[in-house]
Amino acid sequence: MSALSADGLPEESIRRRARDGTAAVFPALDGYGRRLYGAEPAAGGGDELDRVRVVPPVFVPLRLEKLYELGREPLYGDVDLTAAVGGFASPLPLFVCAFGSTQVAGAGDLGRAVSEQAGRLGIPMVIGENVVPMHGYRDAGLLSRIRAYAAAVPDGLGGVVVQQSTEDADAEVWNLVYSDPVATELLNTGRLAFELKVGQGAKPGLGGMTVLPRAAAASVAGQFLVDDAFGAGAPTVLRSSSPGTFTEEILRQQVHLMRNNYPRARTWVKLHPGRDVGQAAEIAWAAGADAVTVDGAEGGTGWAPPVFLGQVGLPLAECLRRIDKHEASLLASGRVWEGGRALKCLAMGATAVGLGRAALLAADEDAAEGLVRLVRCLELELRLLMSALGKYAVPDLGADDLWLPSEGSDRDRL
Amino acid sequence: MTVAPVMKAPLPPGTREHLLSPVTHAALRLQNAIAIASREFLAANGFVELLPPMLGPVTDPGVRGAKQLDVDFYGHRYKLMTSVILYKQASLLAFDRIFYLAPNVRLEPLETATTGRHLVEFHQLDVEMRDATRDDVLALLQGLMRHIVAHVLRECTGELAALGRDPGAFTALLREDFERMTHAEAVRRLQGLLHGQSADAEIDWYGEKLISEQTDRPFFITDYPKGSRGFTDGESRTEPGVLRNFDLIAADGFGELASGGERTHEYRRLIERMRESGENPSKYAWYLELARDGGLPASAGFGLGIERVTRYLGGLETVWQATAYPKLPGVLAP
Repeated sequence: MSALSADGLPEESIRRRARDGTAAVFPALDGYGRRLYGAEPAAGGGDELDRVRVVPPVFVPLRLEKLYELGREPLYGDVDLTAAVGGFASPLPLFVCAFGSTQVAGAGDLGRAVSEQAGRLGIPMVIGENVVPMHGYRDAGLLSRIRAYAAAVPDGLGGVVVQQSTEDADAEVWNLVYSDPVATELLNTGRLAFELKVGQGAKPGLGGMTVLPRAAAASVAGQFLVDDAFGAGAPTVLRSSSPGTFTEEILRQQVHLMRNNYPRARTWVKLHPGRDVGQAAEIAWAAGADAVTVDGAEGGTGWAPPVFLGQVGLPLAECLRRIDKHEASLLASGRVWEGGRALKCLAMGATAVGLGRAALLAADEDAAEGLVRLVRCLELELRLLMSALGKYAVPDLGADDLWLPSEGSDRDRL
Repeated sequence: MTVAPVMKAPLPPGTREHLLSPVTHAALRLQNAIAIASREFLAANGFVELLPPMLGPVTDPGVRGAKQLDVDFYGHRYKLMTSVILYKQASLLAFDRIFYLAPNVRLEPLETATTGRHLVEFHQLDVEMRDATRDDVLALLQGLMRHIVAHVLRECTGELAALGRDPGAFTALLREDFERMTHAEAVRRLQGLLHGQSADAEIDWYGEKLISEQTDRPFFITDYPKGSRGFTDGESRTEPGVLRNFDLIAADGFGELASGGERTHEYRRLIERMRESGENPSKYAWYLELARDGGLPASAGFGLGIERVTRYLGGLETVWQATAYPKLPGVLAP
């Protein structure tokens, strides 16, 4: 290394690329399987949703309505948080997001710990794509998560949502689950859904990515792109899925076919924060989707190139702004972990919000109770916030409840 | 969501009891006559019978909710045929008119075990004609059904008597053209019967039984909406979203006997339709190469369920009575 320097440029990053080649397009490999990745909040105040403030009014006509109903002054315990989430009854406007095939959640006990706790809470849970091709179906794989959830969930609440990607179609994940006795009870009680994964927030336009030992790569090379991105002699390789090709007609017909082939399951569609996200949501709903999930650019992942984490995709707030109201569910995810951000999403039109990385961290902290405790905190915050706003049911929330400093006094611009 | 009434057809007895049953004997003799009559009719119309392939890297994807069976083929995942549709199209490179009497295996959803109409292992008379239209194959199928029925009425009087089947049930079939109605019309009729049939999905199993109970001879439902079928069913050039396909539905509640139509055969259309049905085109490499390099012939055809036709002609309560070794969804049997 010479004494050359270049002020104003990220010199170390440039030198890392010069040293390591395409490995430097990705996060440092020693974090794989132990770190969860996502967009860095902008310096000095987070993303737009973080900067939004919740603004309770002085006059609270809906509190008066509640007072009539109760015959006493309402309190935060009187807030009704029940929600219909993509065709499922949930005690809270919450669900657990998909996490897929990365080492973090794929093969270990963490996926099962989250499943059991989500079941106990009665909130819907999504199981990510590529779990079957990477970790199998029965023992360590997908069915163990469904079984853990089903054993814990109270009657009449929640539901399990199973994703299938383009590569998963080879493994026929939905056909397997639809005919499996383990899922029969959920199916018979209307608590099974299939989710078409169009994309995800952390890497819009890319398919799933995992890092594999070179020796394990041969077994999946027929199905996935296996790339020497970390160097020709490196012990690990990059395994990438296809993002799948979508046009309006392809999306519409895939939803139709899901409803046709699995008439007793609910149909969910997960979108990445694309610039046409509003149009895509409309098409999915019109084709009969029970829920559209929008994963904002803040959404987490087990592995993604930082250029996507930092510079690609619409922030969640902008996604919500671009999607018009619809009677079917709109679900939102992206860095949600506490009640404030959850409430802001709900006030901007979401039916429910998803916990992704936060759910994994919580279960990692305490495999038996971590997620339950995290959700109880979020629940209490939602009750306190809604009560402060003088609103006692989730659908009553609206843009008036929020204020964004950069937009001055114009309330209508949210 | 529509929830149709649960159908509760009985399950098969043990193998010995089934094989010793006079009902099984009559049904299998009837089936034998159906196969003879089919071959006779198709040979007279210039069709070449090919022996069916059983394994391939891919198979028919257009099967609602049914799982395919994987086979380890020297370290590669192959499939048992759910139908030979892809091979039917390819075989037209050799002959203009072909047919197979082909075994199919589909792991149908558990809920179909008691419909009386689903088997995991069954056989289809699979017919394909180069450069044919849907009208051509509707006429061919009507002619085939009449030929089969006339043959059975002539040759199987003892079997029909043993099964208690009144030959008068087929008078209208032999005399009158089979009615044709569009899927949209079928949906309207079902909704008129207070059945909550979805307008953009396949006619559900109960709906099929219901509509089949309203007639005295088989009829065709045409023009299914695109999202209800796999990519091989051809889409109308003049009415986007409408498929140039059909089902043949039996009278008296016996339900679907055959499916068919004009086929998707152009390379670009195949790619689009594969994606619209959630398929990964790379799985279909051998078939797509044929379509791209020199092209697949335009064609139309159908697959006629042999056990289902046997059930209809014999008036059997369930379709498993028309097979010696019934395999029903989720039921372990030899």
